[in-house]
Amino acid sequence: MASAVDRGRLTPAGYAALGIGALIMLAPIIWTLLLSLKNNAELVGHSEAALHGPYTLENYAAILGNSLTMRWLLNSAIVSLGQTAGVLILASLAGYGFSRLDFPFRRTLFVIVLLGLAVPSQAVILPQHQLFAWLHLHNSYPGLILPGLVAPFGVFFMTTYMRAIPKELDEAALLDGASRWRIFWKVILPLTIPAQSTLAVFTFLGAWNDYWWPLISATRSDMYTLTVGLAASQMNYAQTSGLGFLMAQAIFASIPILIVYIVFQKQIVRAMAGTAIR
Amino acid sequence: MRRALLAFIVALALGSCGQNDGKTHIYLQRFFGECGAEYGGSTDVAKAEGECGIITTLVNRFNAENPDLHVDVNVVAWPGYPQLAAQMAARDPPDLVTMHAGVISDYAADGLLEPVEPYLKRAGISPSEFTDATRLGVTIGNRVYALPWDTHGGLFHVNTALFEKAGLMRNGKPVLPTSAEEFLQQARRFKQMTGKPYLIQSNVGDPAYAARNQYTYMMAQGAVLFPDPKQIRLDTPVGRQVAAFFRRINEEQLGTLNMDTPAAIAAFVSGEGGIYPTGTWMIGSFEKEAATPGRPLYQHYAVFPYPRLWGTRVEYVSGHAWVVPARKRTAKQQDAIARFFRFMADHNFDWARTGHLPAFRRLLADPRFAALPHRADIAPLAEMGRPLPGYVRRQNAIEGIVGEEMAAGFIGQRPIDVALKQAEKRTNTLLGELN
Amino acid sequence: MTSSRRWEGLLFVGPFLLLYGVILVFPLFRGAWLSLHRVALFGPGHFVGFENYARLAGDPIFQQSLINTFLVTLMIVPPLTVIALTLALALNRAGRGATMLRGVFFSSAVLSVTIVTLIWRFVLAPDAGALGELWQALGWEPLPFLSDPNLVLPALALTTIWWSLGLPMLLFLAGLQQIPREMYEAAALDGASRWTTFVRITLPALRRTTILVIMLQTAAQLQLFGQSQLLTAGGPSGASRTAVLFLFESAFGRWELGYASAAAEVLFMIILAVTLAQYWATGPGAEGERGFRR
Repeated sequence: MASAVDRGRLTPAGYAALGIGALIMLAPIIWTLLLSLKNNAELVGHSEAALHGPYTLENYAAILGNSLTMRWLLNSAIVSLGQTAGVLILASLAGYGFSRLDFPFRRTLFVIVLLGLAVPSQAVILPQHQLFAWLHLHNSYPGLILPGLVAPFGVFFMTTYMRAIPKELDEAALLDGASRWRIFWKVILPLTIPAQSTLAVFTFLGAWNDYWWPLISATRSDMYTLTVGLAASQMNYAQTSGLGFLMAQAIFASIPILIVYIVFQKQIVRAMAGTAIR
Repeated sequence: MRRALLAFIVALALGSCGQNDGKTHIYLQRFFGECGAEYGGSTDVAKAEGECGIITTLVNRFNAENPDLHVDVNVVAWPGYPQLAAQMAARDPPDLVTMHAGVISDYAADGLLEPVEPYLKRAGISPSEFTDATRLGVTIGNRVYALPWDTHGGLFHVNTALFEKAGLMRNGKPVLPTSAEEFLQQARRFKQMTGKPYLIQSNVGDPAYAARNQYTYMMAQGAVLFPDPKQIRLDTPVGRQVAAFFRRINEEQLGTLNMDTPAAIAAFVSGEGGIYPTGTWMIGSFEKEAATPGRPLYQHYAVFPYPRLWGTRVEYVSGHAWVVPARKRTAKQQDAIARFFRFMADHNFDWARTGHLPAFRRLLADPRFAALPHRADIAPLAEMGRPLPGYVRRQNAIEGIVGEEMAAGFIGQRPIDVALKQAEKRTNTLLGELN
Repeated sequence: MTSSRRWEGLLFVGPFLLLYGVILVFPLFRGAWLSLHRVALFGPGHFVGFENYARLAGDPIFQQSLINTFLVTLMIVPPLTVIALTLALALNRAGRGATMLRGVFFSSAVLSVTIVTLIWRFVLAPDAGALGELWQALGWEPLPFLSDPNLVLPALALTTIWWSLGLPMLLFLAGLQQIPREMYEAAALDGASRWTTFVRITLPALRRTTILVIMLQTAAQLQLFGQSQLLTAGGPSGASRTAVLFLFESAFGRWELGYASAAAEVLFMIILAVTLAQYWATGPGAEGERGFRR
């Protein structure tokens, strides 16, 4: 089924609007970039100084010169990748179960999972903290990875996507004597690569930018994630006397995710086309 | 694939490395930022600048001078309390923590802090050596719960170039008002002669500003803000008088209205107003401006404690202090803490270079201290400063409430008696919920 | 179906459900339990039944925060949906330019809330802010977005819309690519104008996607927190304090754990009710299409 990609031309007004829109999207980011390339003292009270030289890389040097930055980067990478892998595995398994197997309480359990989407994270963060303290899981990688594994969106997403795969494929394999597990592993899973890519990117993004849970769970500086570590590095009134450094941190923390997005961009749009409507 | 897996496992294992170097380790947690890139392992305290630089070099020096100990430093984002609360809830708090004086009462009341008298004794420090302002801040009931580190409070930062234009300079020093009426007169004159507002105010997103103003001028008139731990008294004739005064300033547009802290700092530095009532923490930045040729504040910067407008000369202050969270420690660790206290007491002068006022009386008379720029002018703050009584809990939250309500009252978003009543009601509800 | 087949399914969903039960459901129930106590962050508490809820009902600050939350959600979801749809329509084409522009419009979504509020504070501040400078250059008095109680919620909405364009746009793009080309070709053969094509073919085909986007975003924006906390600290005088900021301040600022838990339960119920209402109001669909939250 050929998809309806627009082949028409936009009106000049349309092009102009898009151009302005792109400018509004990019201008703040470019502003941040320029600020990050300025010396902090020059910016005190004169943030417009970012619009002209001299530019310097000293803020980035300060970030990298901090002996813990690389450690924080590693922590964030481990936690984000761990969470992504965990979510992909758990959500795929659960999605398969919910979408094509009948078992007792299936509907009820699915609804219970969906209800989880209405829970604000700040509502459960303190009881979760108590639980993890009791389990001695703070200041550890499992402690940072586990809470993100229970996000209901992953299960919902994979269930919806898998539901779209025709059941005839399963039935054909069953007739050949395949077990459910084999069907899952060999037939269904390979068909979900685009969805996996999408889920991977969004989970990675959420894990990378997560602030509050790592703040109260990983309280030792060698276990900080990048977001927490960078926040800790700021001195008081960083917005005035350390503005360049602050912005350099922002850019530095965004680069890995931008890379991930660019790499997975194609997969995302392809996956979206397969999930949204049925 | 396999190699990646191996690397992953190794990384996980690294995450649980221990320490085995024969030294006694104590764990210190502080804010003030991270400047390892600039100061690294330097122990040259005299050359360090700024809060971050000085504290980093101080701790490095302590480690160097005490080879049998090691202080492990954990830097947290200001103010670090969500993390500290979480650590205490998980029963794994640090050994030394920087804490604001106003917050000590909350942790002490719940038994989360150790009284520090044993450490002070071992370090040969007597509480009588502390300034009044700091001693009151760390004493709760009859026990001392922290080693005071500094006093910080509001100051009038003055642009003397504009003051000169307004004809408010005498013998090279700015003329500051000595009564409320004089304040308004001088402010009006200033505005007339310079066309710029007399006060630069951070009304937006800075409840501490409004709270500080309200507290200070009520305390100056002898008002007892917290007669007991369960209530605040704001809606009194004195309270209304103070609130009306600040409302007047804004009604007559003698001060700026819409700025948050970064905007206010920018305005002052650009010479957009006469006085910026912020605190000791900005002295360093403004001094730098005053030393840079071509800038509006170049050689035209002075700073003083809040002027007396009614009653006595008293000002609401807070301060940083070192607390010791309650947990099991070895005798060696306790000894290490005592030694750290001694070291910090000996180096209080270095910390005073940040602009905060020293916690030890003897430093106020020290010629080195007087030689630092502007210190002679602001030194009185160390003795006229008053924190809130030690039995008042949730001081930060209360400051947020009072600041939010009074800011609305000062700007005219609500009538001042409504603001005062609401501030009182909300605070009393909060205090009433405490056990 | 044999009984072993029936239970096999549980093996697949088991691992997730186990973690889910322990890490989400149990704390949720514990939070509900805490909401029935008067308990501070540290120390024992005592059971007080529904007293916290009664206190919430009479708390003008909480009520204000709920109103703010509803208002800001109303300010965000419709414009966001329309803009995302428009962008998807415009960028649903092949070519390097379109690909690049799709990336541009998605780029804001990868930033963390800390960075977004930092950037937008600069844009919105009346003095020394980018918008302020622009306004002044045009000869107008800059609007005090962050200090005027009437302007502060629109300011939050603007910031959030800028930040949140990415996901809805992608969802609409996917929805558009689902529409079979044959339908457009048939319309062209009938001589339909572009507008008619849009209204008669595109929009109806996008119905499910639109519902999805609206439900997702409503649930997400009812939980707005970071922007409120970092951009305006809930001010001026609570004009931009959202419900989640309220419960955060209660828990971490005032240490009122029981009270905060009660506020959290109330918010949870509201989000649940709104989401369910939206679902049922838009007619039956596939089993429970629900939302993505930040």
